[in-house]
Amino acid sequence: MVIQLNKVPQNWTVEKKRFSVLNVGVGGQGIIRTTQILAWAALMDGYQVRTAETHGMAQRGGSVSAYLRFGPEVASPLIPRGHVDIILALEISEALRVFNFSGPNTYFFINNKIIIPPMVSQMGFKYPSNENLCQQLKNLHNNIYFFDADKLALKAGTSKALNVVMLGILLGSDKLPIKEDSLQHSILRFIPKKSQEVNRIAFQLGIDKGKSIRRELL
Amino acid sequence: MSMPYFAEEIPGKRVIMLGNEAIARGILEAGVVIGAGYPGTPSSEILDTLAKMKPYYPHLNIEWSINEKVGFEVAYGGSMSNARSVAVMKHVGLNVASDAFMTACYAGARGGMVVVSADDPNCFSSQNEQDNRYFGLHALIPVFEPSTAQEAKDLIKYAFEFSEEHHTIVLFRTTTRLNHGRGDVMLGEIQNIDRPYGFDWDRARWVCLPSHSRVLRTKLLERFEKISNLADEFPFNSLKLSSEKINGIRYGFIAAGIPYAQLIDTLIDFGLENKVSILKLGMVIPPPKKLIRKLLSSVDKILVVEELEPILENILKQLAYENKLVNEVEIHGKDYFPQQGEFSGEIYLEKVANFIGIKYEKNNIPDIKISLPPRLPVLCPGCSHRSTFYAITLLEKELKIKFINSSDIGCYTLAVYKPLECIDTEICMGGSIGLANGFAKIHSTENPILAILGDSTFFHSGVPALINAVYNQNNILVVILDNRSTSMTGFQDNPGTGIKITKEPGTRVVIEELVRGCGVPSENIWVEDSNNLNKMVEKLREAVKAQGVRVFISRHLCSLLEEREFRSKQIQIPVVKIDPSKCKGCLICVNQFGCPALSFDSEEKKANIDQEICRGCKVCISVCQYDAIYEEIN
Repeated sequence: MVIQLNKVPQNWTVEKKRFSVLNVGVGGQGIIRTTQILAWAALMDGYQVRTAETHGMAQRGGSVSAYLRFGPEVASPLIPRGHVDIILALEISEALRVFNFSGPNTYFFINNKIIIPPMVSQMGFKYPSNENLCQQLKNLHNNIYFFDADKLALKAGTSKALNVVMLGILLGSDKLPIKEDSLQHSILRFIPKKSQEVNRIAFQLGIDKGKSIRRELL
Repeated sequence: MSMPYFAEEIPGKRVIMLGNEAIARGILEAGVVIGAGYPGTPSSEILDTLAKMKPYYPHLNIEWSINEKVGFEVAYGGSMSNARSVAVMKHVGLNVASDAFMTACYAGARGGMVVVSADDPNCFSSQNEQDNRYFGLHALIPVFEPSTAQEAKDLIKYAFEFSEEHHTIVLFRTTTRLNHGRGDVMLGEIQNIDRPYGFDWDRARWVCLPSHSRVLRTKLLERFEKISNLADEFPFNSLKLSSEKINGIRYGFIAAGIPYAQLIDTLIDFGLENKVSILKLGMVIPPPKKLIRKLLSSVDKILVVEELEPILENILKQLAYENKLVNEVEIHGKDYFPQQGEFSGEIYLEKVANFIGIKYEKNNIPDIKISLPPRLPVLCPGCSHRSTFYAITLLEKELKIKFINSSDIGCYTLAVYKPLECIDTEICMGGSIGLANGFAKIHSTENPILAILGDSTFFHSGVPALINAVYNQNNILVVILDNRSTSMTGFQDNPGTGIKITKEPGTRVVIEELVRGCGVPSENIWVEDSNNLNKMVEKLREAVKAQGVRVFISRHLCSLLEEREFRSKQIQIPVVKIDPSKCKGCLICVNQFGCPALSFDSEEKKANIDQEICRGCKVCISVCQYDAIYEEIN
C-alpha cells in the first residue's frame, strides 16, 4: 500500500495542510528574527504556527537554522527531509549544508554571499569559492535562485535589512502563501521606529525583485 | 515602553510565543509569587521573561539564584509559606538541586510548587542528555510534559493547582524543541490568588529528621498511589480508540511531548489518524493504568514513541504482564526508535510506515554527501577569554611544560578547539576546581595544575571546591575568567555584577574579597585586565611558579556587552590596523592567537584585520612580534 500525502486545498492560501520553510544562515544574520517575523505574519493570516530554532550560538558565528511550519492544522515543529517548501538561505554554503532537506518541489532562495568560517585555514581546511558553491547547488537542483540581497539592503540604506529584502523577494515571487499586509505589519512590529522607513524601502525593493523573477519560477 | 505581548491582560488574544515565554505566561496566569533558578540552555528565557513581566505585576518576586540547589530552596521556602512558587533549571541543574529536591518531595508542597526541568535530547547545548522523567520515579512525584507552546502554558498553570490539591511537588519536563520553538498561543486569565502568605511552624512536616521522615515517606507513597489512580482522569491525558484494522491488525501508539506533536502530524500525513488508537499523555509519571490497560486490550501492536530512555515502554511491558496481556499484544519502542539524540522529522515517517507495514516513498529525497568544512562556534572577536588562554599557551611554551588545564561550563569551553587547544577537562559546573584538587594529589610538582572557570560558574559551585583546596592544602592555581556576565546563556547578571534579574541594584560580591575569605592568602591572589596581554603573562608566570593555593582573576567585560556599551554611550571603538610594510607574514596572530577578525592574504603574504567585526580590544598589538599591528588614532 502506497500512501499519498494528504492535500487539503480549502479557503486557505496554503495548498496543503502545512507549509514548511527552513531558514538558514550564519549567527548574527538575523535568522531567528526572520523566523519570528514569518511566524507572526502567518498567525495574522489565521494559521496555526510552529517553529524550532537554534538558540545560544546566534552571536558566536555558528550555523543557525530555524524550522517554520504553518497551515490550517499543524502540530509538529520539525520538518521531515524532503518536505521543505522553501529554503531561505542568507548565506550560500549554509544552503548547501541543508540541501538534503529539499525535495523535488523545494524552492531555494539564496542570498548570493559567502561567509568563510573563522579558523577554517587554521584547521587545515580549504573553503570552496562563491562560484564553486553556486555551481554545486545548480548541478543538484532545478529550483535554485540567487539574489544580491546584501546590495539591495545597502541600496535601501542599511546592510541590516538583508533579511527584510529576502522576505520581500519571497513574497514578490508568489511562492510564500502569506498576505503582503500581514508580512509588512509583522516586519514593522520588530523594527524600531527610526529604522522603519529604511526597512519599508528594503521590503519594497525585495518585492520588486521577487516579482521580476516570477516567470522563471513557473 | 509599551507592554510586551506576553504580559498583556487580554484573555482570548492569540499571539506567537516562544515555548519558554509560554511557560512564563502560564506561571504568571497561575498567580505565582516566587520564581528562582539558575540560567542554563534551554531554560534561561523562562525567568528572564518573568523578570520582564515584573514591572506590570509587582507581586512577582523573581531572582537568579547562585545555583539550582539554592534556587530550588528559595522556591520551596515560598511554597512552605503558602505562596505558589516555581524553580527553573536545565536538566543537569536538577542534579545540583537534587539533594534538596529528593527530601522536599517527602514533605510535599503547601503553596503550589513546580520544578521546571528543560531536558536536551541531542546535547544541543549540554554535557549530557539525561532523561529527567526518571526523577519523577525516583522522587515519587508526578511529571508533566507539554507537546506545544499552548499546552505548555495551560499545563503549567494547571500544575500549580494540582500541586496544591495533592500537596505534591510537580516536575514539569520539557525538551529543547519545546523551549526554543514558537507556537500560536491564546492568552488566558491571570489568576488573582487572594490568600494570606506565611509560615505555619508545622515541624512534623518541615523538619525532616529520621522520626519524621519515616512518617513522611508513608504519606509520600500514599500520595503517589492516589495520584496514580487519578491519572486516568487527568485532563491532559487522552485515549482515542479505534477498532479499525490495517491488513488485519489493530495498531496503537503512545506518546507525550514533542514526539506526540510529530507523531500526530505523521499519522495525518499517512491518513491514519482515525485508523489507529492513540494514547496521549500530559502526565507521563505516574502513568494512567486503566487507560493503558484499555489500550493494551484494544489493539494487537503498540508502538511507544519516546525520545531517550524506554521509560513508558518498560511501564507498558510491566502493565501487560500484570494484566496477563503479554500474549495478546506486542509492545514495541526502542526496537524501532533510537535511545539516543533527538528524533528527526523524517524518522517518524520512516518508523511509523515500517511499523504498520506500509510503503513509504522517500519522495526522491536527495542524499548527497556534502563536503564542507564545519562552521563551528568560536570565541568572539575581542573575547577576553582568548587573551587569557593565549597567555597560558605562551607560558606553557616558555616553561616547556604541559599544564593540566581543568576547565568548566561556559563560553570558554570553546578554547578546546584549534588554535588554542587549551582545555583538558570539562565535566560539570564547578568541576574544574574539584578535579584540580584530585590532580594535585597525583601530580605534585611536575605539571602545574590549573582550574579555569568563569565568574558565574565560580559563584555557582566553585567556592566549596576552592575552600577544599585551601583546607587540604592541594596545590593548585585557580584562574577565574571574570567577564562580568553569564554570557553563554544570554548575558545574565551574577553576584559579581551586583545587578539583579530585574536590573535593579543588588549587593555586589567582590571575587577577590570572597577568595581571601576562603582562606587564600593575599600574596597568592593576582588580578589583571585580561586584555593587557604583556601584564597577564608577567603575572601569570608568577602565579604558575608560586606554591600553595593560588587564584588569578582575569577581568574584562564580555566583548559582546562591551560593544553594546560602546554603542549606547557612543564611544568610538578603537581602530586597529596592520602595517603591511612591517608584517612578515609569520602567521602567529592568525594561526596561534586566532581572533576571527584576523585573516591572511596568501597572495600578498600579509595578515589583515576585518574592520567590520574587529571590536578594538587591541590584544593582537601585543601578539605581533614585529610591531606591525597598531591603533590608528585620528
